[in-house]
Parts: sequence; structure tokens; C-alpha cells
Amino acid sequence: MSVDLSNVRNIGISAHIDSGKTTLTERILFYTDRIHAIHDVRGKDGVGAKMDSMELERERGITIQSAATYCTWKGNNINIIDTPGHVDFTVEVERALRVLDGAVLILCSVGGVQSQSITVNRQMDRYNVPRISFINKCDRTGANPERVTGQLQDKLGLNAHMLQLPIGLESELEGVIDLVTMKAMYFDGDNGETIREEEIPADLQDAADEKREELLDAVSMFSDELMEAMLEETEISTEMVKEAVRAGTLALDFSPVFIGSAYKNKAVQPLLDAVEYYLPCPTDVENLGLDLEKDEEEFPVSNDDEDPLIMLAFKLEDGRYGQLTYVRTYQGTLNKGATVYNTRTGKKVKVGRLVRMHSDEMEEIDSCGAGDIVALFGVDCASGDTFTDGKLTCSMSSMHIPEPVISLAVLPADNKAQINMSKALNRFTKEDPTFKTFVDHETGETIISGMGELHLEVYIERMKREYSAEVQVGAPQVAYRETISTRAEFNYTHKKQTGGSGQFGRVAGYMEPLEEGEYEFEDKIVGGSIPREFISSCDKGFTKSLLKGTLCGSPVTGVRCVINDGAFHAVDSSDVAFQLAAVGAFKEGYMKAKPAIMEPIMKVAVEGPSEFQGSVMGSINQRRGMIIGTTEEGNYTVVDAEVPLSEMFGYSTTLRSLTQGKAEFTMEFSSFKPVPKSVSEELVKKYQDEKKEK
Amino acid sequence: MGKEDLVSNNPLRALGLEKEDVADGRRVGLIMARAGLGKTAILVQIAMDSMLRDNKVLHVAIGEGVDKTRTWYDDILGLMNQEKKIENFQQVVEDVMKNRMIMTFKENSFDAAKLEERMEDLAQQGIFKADCLVVDGFDFTDANSAAAIDELKGFMEKNALKMIWFSAVSHRDDERVSVNGVPAPCHEVDGAFDTVLLISPEDNGLKLKTLKCSAACAVDAGKSLSLDPATMLIKKA
Repeated sequence: MSVDLSNVRNIGISAHIDSGKTTLTERILFYTDRIHAIHDVRGKDGVGAKMDSMELERERGITIQSAATYCTWKGNNINIIDTPGHVDFTVEVERALRVLDGAVLILCSVGGVQSQSITVNRQMDRYNVPRISFINKCDRTGANPERVTGQLQDKLGLNAHMLQLPIGLESELEGVIDLVTMKAMYFDGDNGETIREEEIPADLQDAADEKREELLDAVSMFSDELMEAMLEETEISTEMVKEAVRAGTLALDFSPVFIGSAYKNKAVQPLLDAVEYYLPCPTDVENLGLDLEKDEEEFPVSNDDEDPLIMLAFKLEDGRYGQLTYVRTYQGTLNKGATVYNTRTGKKVKVGRLVRMHSDEMEEIDSCGAGDIVALFGVDCASGDTFTDGKLTCSMSSMHIPEPVISLAVLPADNKAQINMSKALNRFTKEDPTFKTFVDHETGETIISGMGELHLEVYIERMKREYSAEVQVGAPQVAYRETISTRAEFNYTHKKQTGGSGQFGRVAGYMEPLEEGEYEFEDKIVGGSIPREFISSCDKGFTKSLLKGTLCGSPVTGVRCVINDGAFHAVDSSDVAFQLAAVGAFKEGYMKAKPAIMEPIMKVAVEGPSEFQGSVMGSINQRRGMIIGTTEEGNYTVVDAEVPLSEMFGYSTTLRSLTQGKAEFTMEFSSFKPVPKSVSEELVKKYQDEKKEK
Repeated sequence: MGKEDLVSNNPLRALGLEKEDVADGRRVGLIMARAGLGKTAILVQIAMDSMLRDNKVLHVAIGEGVDKTRTWYDDILGLMNQEKKIENFQQVVEDVMKNRMIMTFKENSFDAAKLEERMEDLAQQGIFKADCLVVDGFDFTDANSAAAIDELKGFMEKNALKMIWFSAVSHRDDERVSVNGVPAPCHEVDGAFDTVLLISPEDNGLKLKTLKCSAACAVDAGKSLSLDPATMLIKKA
């Protein structure tokens, strides 16, 4: 199934919550004949939008899991990943951006660039994703696409320019003027499916001429041909402008802006045209693989169907069709029935079925080639694994996965719920690397951890709905960490002689803070004071000690343990003895190394009317927050702050009552920082009390 | 090295101007340059000098975002640390940044009265009481700029601010200058400033020149420093 890659577009759709991206995707699927009726996100017909395939998504009107879909527009194959808007689910956004070649950033014409748009844009920057913007909801009262374009320039630093002008706005929105073709476009029919092209209305001609001039000035630097034509005042063809816009967009130096209203079926088709014209095909972007045989040396993948296969699993789903693995093929061809190798585990797997996903429906296909996004059945792997056909030992670059910052205990109601909960957790952890689970051996409780309250809430709901696992949930707990502040020496002897064979081991050395990374072990033993076979036992002992610090029982990170001396006994020394000696040594060194408790600090952005700025800042201040700055935006102000996560529980209620419900906030993990002394003392006391109770 | 070492290479100190903000009166400074020559970098170093001496600085950025402004501070502190290797650097950064707040405005939405209102609000709530103010991106071509500066100077007196520093863009093709050599568009308002610095490209590098300084100032007008164009820090001799 070899396709011309220049006709393939792998795109993501990203935006702030409620900017209408699912609605837009629904229209795209309708115009590309993938669906034959349009359903609203919170529709009265009870069907819900196509891409919100999870029951919960339809109910809440937000997209939780990204679903992959495929459509054809004017001979181009477009793979679309609809990505979630809530910041708690950004790993989904990040994964999507990792495998996509281009993206559409959706903005609300009233809300403009909001905090989540900034996060998403930053992620797109990280993965060098060329992007076009679509200013949606131009039918809403207060719509101002020019202001939003200004924000794209100011807030996101994009060289953004409108390629269209609206014909009317708010309830008067009739259509758009295309500044490249200089034609007016209207969208007729019940669902806007009939495009009527006309001359530009006389009253808008001057504005259109002026905006086109601005556009040409902005893009001329990306095309010598256009620049020459402008200087020599010769005719400027549509193709010339398109080429210049495309060149600027692919180089990430220009970002075209389109406008419309998906809900009112206005100007969605020109956006599809823009995806074709301005976003890259798989061969336009360079994707790098890591050669595992050459110390992870980077190499560009070829995008050639004939070359050895390389593909990346970027999403797992365990739906009603069994385990589904979404993959992006970077080079080579994958045929149904072929055997592929997981380069992480070294295991080989047979690809039984190969499908192209269309939200929760699928099409069986026999093969897929370079640049394609498809799903495999029955392949056991983790998200982020690379597959090859065995001819190459490589991996696609690793994905940035943030550490979980919040956890809570879940208690199954009965035995049946216990079994179902295990199944659910097993699946969720495989699907989502930011969702983790473990059993606290002291309390016997199952703990789940993730990126925010909503993140965990959604998984609990899914456990109940999809697995009938009734669970009781404890209060959310902040995932604290412990670390050391200074270097300290240890010299510990573990000796036990209580009948039978004894235990003996002495471990000496030092521990010191590690600037980057969680843990490092170094063996500086000379002269065999600890025999070779017990060196790894010391490492194991230290690793065990890291699981639970002595201050508040949280994991210890940022520690480098170095051993430089020790002693052994020819009979009594063993793996266990040295592990226990290392545990003792760690404890001894740890208390001397000025241990400290670290807490997750969240980057918080509160956006609301300026009149409430004082109260918002006051509320952040009360929560041990540090205000970084404020941005005045007309009558709106955004307050940026860093606040400890432990202080953010219940903030949405506080904010609502402070601002009459007019302000909203988003937060994302920023860093771990030491807690103040008073909080540290409180946490230590609480942990000691809990230990006494047990 | 300790925190105090971070300020030793500060332009204000190197020019002998640091005495200005501890002298009796309140001081108003201006840093001028053509677009893209590094006014913000110098302004940030001036702000940092003040923050490192435990003054609270409000950085007002007009036409620039909070993140971008914050990055200036992070970058400059990072560069300083590369030179000085400060002990416990992260902790120093944490402590110093508590003395800074950034307030950003769109070009057309800034006005002195609004700024004063916000600052009073912050002070009344005990959130942030600024000792110093830096204003980056102020439009001196605006007909009302002189009145706005006067208004801010009045506010400075009322609220016991120690200093206000502004930045202004000069233009190559506008040759108007004041008697002190202060270029347009500030040539007509140079009386409002106690100190005026100019960054100018010279000898394949950048020079920071003192165009004007007050009586309390220990240096003569005309004294200049070489800046490293890559980092905008003062070049070592």
C-alpha cells in the first residue's frame, strides 16, 4: 500500500479547554465524508461528537483520551489526533506532538490565547512542530480575531498573520475573505457544505487590500520569487504566495492564521485546504532515531517504504476490540502477519491484525508504509516502545514524561471490585505513563498517582464505569520527595550471629547531593575490601533505602552514594548481609546529610477580570504562592504564580467565590522545592504519629 | 563565592553609580540604545543589583510577556553564575527572586495611573511593596510621556521608592540630541533624569556610556564600559 508521501498529513489538533476542537474535528469528518451527520459535543440527540468516544467524555463535554482518525481531503490522506485540552492530560498532547508532523492550534475568538494555549504552544516548540492557527467561535459575542492574532504574536511569540478576513462577526458572521486568492467565500447549505465564491464585498475591499499587503510583506522574506515580484511590481500569483507561506511555516518562522466558526459550519473547508497547502508531509520534517549500537547516536530516518522498518508505539488502548497499539511508521513497510521486534524488550511479536482507526471504529488494512499512523492488535508493549523488523537496533527519541505529583488511596469495596480494579489499573498504567500505581506495604492500601486531581478523578470514574470496580477513595495526598543537602560520610557494620550461619558486612563511603537525576552509585573500592560479587548488593541496599526516606516516608531522590571501603567475612558475608549493611550505612549517612522534604510546586495561571486582580493575588499569597507577574490584557488580567500543590486543593471553589465565578485557573507541574521549616516539622510529626499508630 | 559576588560586576557599580540610590534623594535613571542592542539586559542587571541588596523591585514590561521577562533574569543570573560559581546557587536564585515582581502591559494599555493603582493594591494587601521600579518599553514618543514621568516621580516621592529606571529606544536616523547628548526621543525630557546611560556599538563591540549623572555620582559623564555583546555583561579588562 505505497502512497505518495507528499499527499500524507499527520496532524494534531490542540487547544485550550472548550475552544471547540472536538466540534471542529466533527465538521472535518463530515466534510471529508467520514460521517454523514453532525452531532454536537453536548448534543441533545445523545449521540455526542464522533471523537469523544468515551462515555465520560461525552458526559463532561471534554476530550480525555485522544483518538486517532483518518480522512481524505482532495486526494490527501490526513491522519488526525484529537488531543485533550486539560493540562492534567498533557502527556497525551505531548505524545501526539511527538508523532505528528504538523498541528492546528485552535483558539477561541473571545478567550484568545489562554494559559493552556501557551502550554500547548511550548510543547509544539519542544518538538519543532509547524503550526497553523484557527480562530474558532467567530460567531460568539465579543469575537475579535484581530486581537487574538495580536496575542499569538505577543504572548506566543509567533510570527502570526491572518490569511483571511471575516465577513461580519458575532451573529453577523457570513463568511471569510481569502487574502491569498482575494475572493470572498460563503458557506451555504444546511451544514455549510456548499462553498460559494464571490467577489470581495465593496465595503471590505480596502481592508482586504491593506491586510494582503501586510501579509505579502510578512511572507516575502521566505520566497525570493515573491520578493522579486513585489519589488518589480509584476503580477503576484496565488501559487507564489502559497509557496512563501508554506516555506515560512515549515521553517517555523511564520504561522498562518485562519478564522471561522465550526459550530456554525463556517470556513472549515478552507482550513482543510490549509492543512494540505501549509503543513508538512512526512518527508518535509526530519525525524531522528537513536542508534543503540552506536551509543544512541542520532540518525535521520529515511521515510522510505523500501528501507528496514522503524515504528513507534505512541498510544495503547484496551477497548472493546482488545489491546490496541497506535503506531507511527517512520520508515519501511509493515504487512499484516509480519513479525516485528520490540527494541526495548528484545521480544518479537507477530502482527495479527492491522487497522486504521476512525475514533472507535476501524478499517482492516493489509499493510502500511512510511509516515502512516495505524493501530495494531494483540501487541504487548508499553507506550513509547520502538519496533523494527529486526534489521536495525534503534529507538526513536525518548518522550518527555513528567513525574506524578499527586496521589490517593483507593480501596475496593469487595473481592470482585478488587479483581476488577487490578485489571483496570494494569491497563491504565500501560496506557498512560504519567499514571502510576503501587501498594503501600505498611498500610496495604493501593495508591494511585498522577498529574492532578482531575487526572485521578477520571481514572476512578473509568474504573467504576468500564470495569464495574466500586472503590472508596481517600483524600488526595501530595507526592513529597526527600533529598539531602550536604555531603556526609558513613561507615556501618552489619553483624548478626544468632545461631546458624551469621551475617557480616561493613560498608563505608559517603553520600552527596546529585544535581541532576535521582540516584547514582559509584564503586571506589580498591584492594578488594568488599569483594566484587557484593558490590551490586551494596547498590541494591541503597536503592531499597531510597524508596522511603526517614523524614516523612517519601521517596528519596537526588543522592549519589559512593563506597570506598568496607570489610567482609569469608563465611558470614553474603548478598543479604551487604544489602543490610548498605541499608544501615544509608540510614547513618542520611541523617548526617541534612535531609530535607521537597514538595511539588505548580505553575499556576489565573485569568479573570482586572477588578478581581487584588483578591486573586491575595488568595495566592495566602497559599504560600510566589507571584511571578501579572499581565494586563484589556479588562482581563492574568496572574502567573508558583504555588505548592498541597495548597491548591479546593482552589477552584475559593476562586469561584472570590470572583463571582468569572476567573479560571490552570496549573501544571513546575519543579520540586524544599518545604518551609514549619511545614517540614508538621510532616515529620504526622509521619511519626502514623508510625506509632501502626 | 557568595551572593554578594554576583553584584561586583554590575554596570552600576562598575560606573560608580551605585551610590545614587543610597544618597539622600530619589533617583531616576534612563538607559537608551537603538533597537536590539540590549537595553533590557542592562535594565535587568540594574534591577538585580537592587534585588541582591534586598530591595523589592517591580519590573514593568510594556509590550512583553511575563515569561520572556522572567527568562531575562534567569539567563543573566545563569551567566553570572558561570563566571562566579556561586555556592548554593539555586537557593540564592530563590531568595533573590522573592524580591522581584513582573507586571506586563500591552503597549496601548499602559498608563501611569493604572500602574500606581496596581502598586498601591499590592502594597495594601501586604503582597509586594516595591522599593525600586524598572520600566521597560515606555513610549517616549507619546505626547504625554513627560506628564507620565512626572506622575511617576510624584508617586515615587509619595511611596518612598528609591529609584526608577526607564529604557528608551533611540533611532539611527533621528539626530536630535539634548545639551547633555541625550538622543531623541528623550532629548526634551532629559531634565527628568538624574542618570542617563547609552549603549552604542563601537569597535566591533558594545560600549555603555554615561551621558549624564547627578552630583552625588562619583564618575564624570563620559565614562564608559565595554560590554560583551554575547552576554551583555561587562567585559573583563
